[in-house]
Amino acid sequence: MTESKLTLDGQQVEFTPGETLYELASRHGKTIPTLCYDPRLEPFGGCRLCAVELEGTKAPVASCTMRATPGMVVRTDSQSLDKLRRTLLEMVASENRELEVDPLRGYASQQLKELVDRYGARTGRFKGRTSGKSHADDNPFILRDYDLCISCYRCVRVCAEQEGDYAISIMNRGFETRITTEFEGKLKDSQCTFCGQCVQTCPTGALADRKALANAKIPGETRKTRTTCAYCGVGCSLDVLSRGDRIVGVHPAMDGPANEGALCIKGQFAFDFVHHPDRLKSPLVRGEDGELHEASWDEALDRAARGLGQVIEEHGRHSVYCIASGRTPSEACYLMGKFVRAGLGTSYIDNCSRA
Amino acid sequence: MALPDELPRPVETRDLIELFRHQPAPLLAVLHALHDRDGYLSDEVLGEVSKGLRIPLADLFGTVTFYHHFARKPGGKAAPRVCTGPVCCQHGALDLVQKLGATEMPCAGRCDQPVPVLAGDQVLDPHGQPLLSPLPVPNPGGCEECVFAHIREPGRSNLAGYGYEALQKALTMTSQQVLDLVSESGLAGRGGAGFPTGTKWKLVAQAQGYPKTVVCNADEGEPGCFKDRALLDHDPHAVLEGMLIAAHATGASRAFLYLRYEYPHTLRILERALEEARAAGLLGTCEIYLRRGAGAYICGEEGALLNSLEGRHPFPRYRPPFPVTHGFENLPTAVNNVETLASVPPILRNGAAWYRSLGRNGQAGTKLISLSGDIQKPGNYEVPLGLPLRTLLEEWAGGAPEGHTIRAVTMAGLSGGFLGGADLEVTLDEPSIRSRGSFLGAGGIIVFHDGRNMVEAARQAMEFFAHESCGKCFPCRIGTQRLVERLSGEAGPGEKERWVEEVEDLGHTMKALSACGLGMAAPLVTESLNRYFPEDVAAHVGRNA
Ligand SMILES: Cc1cc2nc3c(=O)[nH]c(=O)nc-3n(C[C@H](O)[C@H](O)[C@H](O)COP(=O)(O)O)c2cc1C
Ligand code: SF4
Ligand code: SF4
Ligand code: SF4
Ligand code: FES
Ligand code: FES
Repeated sequence: MTESKLTLDGQQVEFTPGETLYELASRHGKTIPTLCYDPRLEPFGGCRLCAVELEGTKAPVASCTMRATPGMVVRTDSQSLDKLRRTLLEMVASENRELEVDPLRGYASQQLKELVDRYGARTGRFKGRTSGKSHADDNPFILRDYDLCISCYRCVRVCAEQEGDYAISIMNRGFETRITTEFEGKLKDSQCTFCGQCVQTCPTGALADRKALANAKIPGETRKTRTTCAYCGVGCSLDVLSRGDRIVGVHPAMDGPANEGALCIKGQFAFDFVHHPDRLKSPLVRGEDGELHEASWDEALDRAARGLGQVIEEHGRHSVYCIASGRTPSEACYLMGKFVRAGLGTSYIDNCSRA
Repeated sequence: MALPDELPRPVETRDLIELFRHQPAPLLAVLHALHDRDGYLSDEVLGEVSKGLRIPLADLFGTVTFYHHFARKPGGKAAPRVCTGPVCCQHGALDLVQKLGATEMPCAGRCDQPVPVLAGDQVLDPHGQPLLSPLPVPNPGGCEECVFAHIREPGRSNLAGYGYEALQKALTMTSQQVLDLVSESGLAGRGGAGFPTGTKWKLVAQAQGYPKTVVCNADEGEPGCFKDRALLDHDPHAVLEGMLIAAHATGASRAFLYLRYEYPHTLRILERALEEARAAGLLGTCEIYLRRGAGAYICGEEGALLNSLEGRHPFPRYRPPFPVTHGFENLPTAVNNVETLASVPPILRNGAAWYRSLGRNGQAGTKLISLSGDIQKPGNYEVPLGLPLRTLLEEWAGGAPEGHTIRAVTMAGLSGGFLGGADLEVTLDEPSIRSRGSFLGAGGIIVFHDGRNMVEAARQAMEFFAHESCGKCFPCRIGTQRLVERLSGEAGPGEKERWVEEVEDLGHTMKALSACGLGMAAPLVTESLNRYFPEDVAAHVGRNA
């Protein structure tokens, strides 16, 4: 047996040390269903949908937790796996208030529904009590609609492992399991920073983006535009969701090199300034009357240049101190530095992140 | 847990946290000390523990709610809890709950005694008298015993009446010699899974990483199992000695005994025994820590147990890796059942061949069986592996109560489901019982006489599994709930064929996909119900149509 090789659906394939069967299979184009999996998180093994057959074991194994070892013989698809996955999805569907949810609820909100449809599991079998209980939580950002929760714990794990906030956790056991904060309080009284990552990883829409849902009535098809968050210099990639000329929401870009699906409260939720009537759309220049008036960029820049020039003339070049905004990317900061040093001739420059 | 006398009184939360903060596995110790002091765990106290042990408060709160015996309201700890396990329900436990205005609790490990009431740190009978563990009845079958051989000797639970000759002998041997001896004896785990003990210890001995740990699993939460309690109450030093021999063999320098909450009296016995052993210098290079569970059957599963010790949410861990390489704090760990460990000193004293010879039909050694339910003489019995079940039931234990015959028994407490009909002719060993689709496991056997409704028995069993499902994995969390609803008639098809099909589909999926033994075993209840008692099922489905 060669090192680091195993048989995947009849084919000899090579794996990298530490790779899980799920990662390996995905690399080879297999579409193993998952519900509790998020590639950014530690292996967990809760939903059991990702089960594959492994020669020599009595029962299928969870591919998301099983590391590849030399000589394994793995099947990712079979009639028996199909039936198990369908039955499991019928069970999951049976505990849920509804499968059909508005995609504006969150990035992953359609996952359960899509799997149920892929496996033809919308059969209404296994009727019984539903689990979960929605939590009245009057914050402007996150709807906690736990009637839809399937206890995959992705929210809890993303909050701990990605955000490091440990704001939410798991209470009780078994069918009585609930997602909670300390002492079942509100998010705003917890360690939550409203980064929204729990919302975006939730596969059922149980956690939903209230800001986006408020725009649900705006007509039109939802378009996605990839851009970079303008709030700070980290450079998180995000997809702006829009209908017509209205922004209706924001999804983090899971493949964003700087953020890998993470955003903070500003990038995630603070997009409504764009359409706000008070938003500045052109420069304002103070007139003789002491009031601010709309002006062209040329007018405004001339006025600024004059002002700076006047001060330097009267008080010398070190009388000017410039602060670059923390919201600007490195390139803009560089330009600012250049302008201050070469243009104004002073070294009094700093960044607001430090000043 | 007893606190050191020099601690200033009244005991401050701060001081209590400080007392345990530098020990391994501090969380349960701290929580119990506070639960004992205040009679409940207040928000304020949890806040201090969160800060003191650096555990996020949301996590700590969630984890505390996982354990059903941690009270969150004043007076909660002292409030009475009545066992409504399967045997106690045969004995009118539900009336007692009403009478006392008590809360229900799952099997409390005293199925051979009157219905137990847990009130604070006392276990009482229905009349309020303390319930102590009965000694095993004098050797009923005349077969040579191993762990019970000396347990009935007076003074056995004191150091003076015990003596640690097996440990002394082990210390004159190399660890390899001890490992070989245990392997040759054929001793296999007595906690349920039956893994060869010698092999487990060798894997720990060979594994990289220090310090290594031994864990004695005394969580005994399986309904119908109360054998570990008998050993701990009447022969505590045998268990401690087994732990110390395991530590010597594996190279472990720390050990935990994880005791279920429902055995407060046992905790006091163990504290005293451990003090005696420590004072006599017997611990050597291995410190032993007692830790107490707080009401969660799943904490007997080794991964959940380790998470519980570490102060994490007590979900089972995925495997591999196994505890032998990645156990307590991700370091090599031997987790062993009480009975397994108590078998080790006699094996050292009498040799591997002696132990092997105790079994029949090629089976090595003996097994403790906790026998309860509709049987003349319930109690703990040590049987040679391979003994016919009938011999135990009829000859040793006097058979069914007057005027009745035996209709069914459970195996592995509840986890093995039922045996009935011709399958009551099994022998007590894994090959025989596994060939009937069940397993011997930890050795709890509950008897049902010919007047019992087996659907009702199955419903009670499934309610236990649903109550104790940890909620980590989908098939078990949802499946146990759906099976309860179908067994109670609350939901499910009203026509027998479809009812059976749904129940079998749920069971099949749980068995194939569950993440741990609980979810894999629970459907044996419905599987065996359908196999042996189709007429009870038909009547049940018909009634609810
Ligand atoms: C749901 C569940 C509960 C368990 N409860 C116990 C228990 O109470 N005591 C025990 O010794 N083993 C219990 N086990 C088995 C342990 O996981 C483990 O196999 C055992 O402690 C190993 O010791 P042994 O090899 O000496 O049997 C349980 C397993 C499962 C799946
Ligand atoms: S919004 Fe962010 S911080 Fe708040 S609970 Fe969700 S993941 Fe945690
Ligand atoms: S709220 Fe969503 S992410 Fe969290 S456990 Fe429920 S279904 Fe999973
Ligand atoms: S089988 Fe049940 S007890 Fe075990 S991990 Fe799954 S939910 Fe938890
Ligand atoms: S994706 Fe593997 S168990 Fe959920
Ligand atoms: S002690 Fe009540 S059923 Fe076991």
